[in-house]
Amino acid sequence: MKKLLIYFSAFAILSLYFILTVFILPSEFLMTEQLVPEPYFAATISENNITLGDSFRFDIVSVNNGDYADIHIVSVAFPDLTMVDDVVKINTYDFTLSPSYIHVGEEIGSNYSGGVETTFSQYPSIEAMSRPLKPDVQTHFDLLITPKESGIFNIYVKSIGIPHTSDLSHYPYSGFLDHQNEYVSVYSVSVNP
Amino acid sequence: MTISTSKPSETFLKSRSQFIFLIGSILTSLGILLVTVGGSWDITNHLLSKPETFSSPPHALMYSGVAVTLFGVVLSFVGWKNLQKFRTSYFLSLKIKLIGIGLLTGAGPFDFVWHSYFGLDGLLSPPHFTLITGMFLCSIGGMVGISRYLKFHNSKPVSKYLLILAVIPVWLSASGIISSLSLPFSSTDFFQFNPEPTFAFIVASLAYPFLISFSLFTVFRLSNYQFGLVSILGGLFLLIYSSTAIVPNFAMLDTVQFYSLNLIPFVIADVFLKLNRSKLSLFFTGGLIGSVFYMVYYPYVMYTYNEVLLGKLVSPSLIYFVYFELIQTVLLYTLIPSIVMGVLAVVVSDKITKKILIN
Repeated sequence: MKKLLIYFSAFAILSLYFILTVFILPSEFLMTEQLVPEPYFAATISENNITLGDSFRFDIVSVNNGDYADIHIVSVAFPDLTMVDDVVKINTYDFTLSPSYIHVGEEIGSNYSGGVETTFSQYPSIEAMSRPLKPDVQTHFDLLITPKESGIFNIYVKSIGIPHTSDLSHYPYSGFLDHQNEYVSVYSVSVNP
Repeated sequence: MTISTSKPSETFLKSRSQFIFLIGSILTSLGILLVTVGGSWDITNHLLSKPETFSSPPHALMYSGVAVTLFGVVLSFVGWKNLQKFRTSYFLSLKIKLIGIGLLTGAGPFDFVWHSYFGLDGLLSPPHFTLITGMFLCSIGGMVGISRYLKFHNSKPVSKYLLILAVIPVWLSASGIISSLSLPFSSTDFFQFNPEPTFAFIVASLAYPFLISFSLFTVFRLSNYQFGLVSILGGLFLLIYSSTAIVPNFAMLDTVQFYSLNLIPFVIADVFLKLNRSKLSLFFTGGLIGSVFYMVYYPYVMYTYNEVLLGKLVSPSLIYFVYFELIQTVLLYTLIPSIVMGVLAVVVSDKITKKILIN
């Protein structure tokens, strides 16, 4: 009789264990709010008009205004170049990971999917990354750019927070779409011959 | 009157040789335990992108573990050399430990050379696999040594608790081998060592349930069916895993309560084995233990199943979301195979423990 009671209790506890771990707790946890990082940046150009051969500074200050970000990315792309070469030099950089240089034709993530959806890059870019980035922490990414051709020199800048859980997890929120089908802010400098 | 020509130290070594061998085996197992705990902690730090330095706490734990293991193997050798009896019986343990320590210590310079040529490596790489294989062999050697000593000395029930220390490193290092062959953490700039997702799915679904059941039944049989060891071993595994894989990630802290529930099947298994040791009861318990592998290997096992079932990007704060999103689907696919593997482990552990004890 005592044995039977122990067996009965054991099976009851086991059933409760499976119900809790497979059904109840998973739904509870899935209902908790996900972290929403909110990246933001401000970029300044030292000169809007330069003469060919001269350089200008491009300074970016980025911040995470939302929740803790597992990864905070600032991407700077150069649609008028085929190679970054010695046109772009990094002056200041305080992200936690080394900058990553993306070359033309490289497979890259798209649609804010973090690499699940991919495309091929059409122009070079430099990605600055911090893993993780706490809220309200500023990061700096300053470039010295010396265009080699006259005309309009464009720079695309965007910032993405991962987990990308909302439309607030990228900046800018709208505007021009780049080769990754992600929004960018466009900055231009006129390079006079 | 006879005059002994041997020195006092030699006499001491000879009279205490079995005990020295036991201490060597304990240190070997303890060393591997430290390496596996450090290794699991290190994986978490990598996922969280915490700064990697030569002397980071997980690394320090791993190096100390290797040093303790090395000392344990040397001590085992000294003990074995001076054995007056059971020399052949203890040789198997020593042999396995020597091969293991050879691989373990060789993996260090191999890893250095690998890093010099190919930069950072992932979880699965030739030097890492050498290291994990060495750890596994050393832990097996330690387990055989401790088990045989306890058997030859008809140890008191209290000394059977040493078997926990003997089996837990085997469980953890074998988990390391399975993780290397199933987790997608091995892609680097030079090599793509990530296992093929379907292969990884199969490996995880079969090997983890087998290993849990095998480890628990091995400690149960080696201890001559002592009640409580299954619960303690299972509980210790959960404690180590939660403190190295869950607690360091602040986003997962709340899920410790979910993870701690996994003690229930271990305690129930212990109770079942205490009440009834018929074949049916053993198989039922093995199947039960095998079936909970997805919960016991929370959180990282999710990465393997995510590759095939969801394909989501999983950043550290999303780990438990994806894990819980997958739990029912994974159980649907793996419940029957995991039960079968749990039962199979009961049979295999019976054969292996007999081999360990009958010699």
